[in-house]
Amino acid sequence: MDSTKSLRVIDFGRVSGLRSQTLWHAIAHGVSSGAPPTLSFMQPDESYVSIGYHRGIDELNPHNELPVYRRMVGGGPVYVDDGQYFFQIVVPLAMAPARRGDAIRTLLEPAVEAFNDVGISATLDARNEVVVGDRKICGHAAGQISGSVVVVGNLITRFDHLAAASIVRAPSEVAREEFLAQMRRYVLATPADSGLFLEAATRRYGERLGLGAEPGTLTDEERDQLDVFDTLFVDPEWVDGLSTHQNGMWRAKVKSGVWVGSATCDGHRVTASFHDDEIKEVRVEGPDGTFEEMDQLLAALAANPPI
Amino acid sequence: MTSLRIKGFEVRTDRLYDLVHHMWVKDVGDGRVRIGMDSLGVETSGTLAHLSAVAVGTVVSRGEPFGSLEAEKYVGPLVAPLSGTIVAVNDEVFSDPRKVESDPYESGWMIEMETADLAAERGGMIEGNDAIARRFAEKVTEYRLEGVLAE
Repeated sequence: MDSTKSLRVIDFGRVSGLRSQTLWHAIAHGVSSGAPPTLSFMQPDESYVSIGYHRGIDELNPHNELPVYRRMVGGGPVYVDDGQYFFQIVVPLAMAPARRGDAIRTLLEPAVEAFNDVGISATLDARNEVVVGDRKICGHAAGQISGSVVVVGNLITRFDHLAAASIVRAPSEVAREEFLAQMRRYVLATPADSGLFLEAATRRYGERLGLGAEPGTLTDEERDQLDVFDTLFVDPEWVDGLSTHQNGMWRAKVKSGVWVGSATCDGHRVTASFHDDEIKEVRVEGPDGTFEEMDQLLAALAANPPI
Repeated sequence: MTSLRIKGFEVRTDRLYDLVHHMWVKDVGDGRVRIGMDSLGVETSGTLAHLSAVAVGTVVSRGEPFGSLEAEKYVGPLVAPLSGTIVAVNDEVFSDPRKVESDPYESGWMIEMETADLAAERGGMIEGNDAIARRFAEKVTEYRLEGVLAE
């Protein structure tokens, strides 16, 4: 395969939760070493939690019993199961725009076209969320791994909002309920045929990158690298990752611009949902009576959105 | 310290620049240099959400990552502009990356390194008022032509 003119397409089918992460990390190293730009697809055959590179393990529900895998791309902790069909586009660094936001947008646009091709009226909003109306339909993350740029996303054919809301550490049941309510409002499953999506995405990415799509497999080097990642991703030190800075406030993002925050003051807990800097819902837990500091607490929460 | 405004971007001429990775290097004496991100790097990164750095005492080679940044769910490396040992990390910046955006050349510094031979390392970087102004302007123009920066 001519690595300068081809888009390698690999359909891994159903894979373990671990492999649904490590396979594309191995591809990123392969592309960095000269393998062609690659579009891959896979569906995990089990439920797990995927946590972003910089996020703290202490953001997860301490009662979580699902496997946790730390990815090398961004974003927060997410629940993954077999109702989510994943795609990954991996290109050499030189093929991606230098501005990070532009790189994500450029590498998500063909996926949005593919969603439309299979009957989903998706758009890419100003915050780079793939949405139908105002509801998020695709979880995505991106990063530079070695000398390649990776954008990962999913076709959500079925979404378990309750399970997704349960994986995060919440400071109270009220906060978790509010997070769940906002997830139900703003995260939408879009059942579509994954095979058709694969065909459409292959066509759209090939057109966008100006490359002819060709079925491919992992290189020997990528297989070796896969072994490395299979070991690394279950290493407790890697999974635990870095500590976080929460400033005493709890924040959980539903989608870009929509989040739930919670903090305490004088024995009261205030939980609020925020939509584009507007406070939409406020719930107060604590003793009866006037809580004069609530305005200040809400202002402090509003000033500290999750990024 | 001399501050210049080049096509809308601030640049300080009292330091060296690696314009490939948008890092500045300032000699702070005793074989130590302070390292941070230049204003073009800040602009092209987007809103910084997270920063991380390797531990103090780590030896890093030029061109290798000394940490990572995350903006808009995109994780990328922070690339060392020279080789040496990391001797200090600016904890304030790593706790609140917004400081890099608000003051990239002073309080937004990221790390300090000890380098065995700064004179030898200088060759790969840009220094001097004229060279810095010219190369920075060229980079802005290049980014505008590529659509990386708005006009």
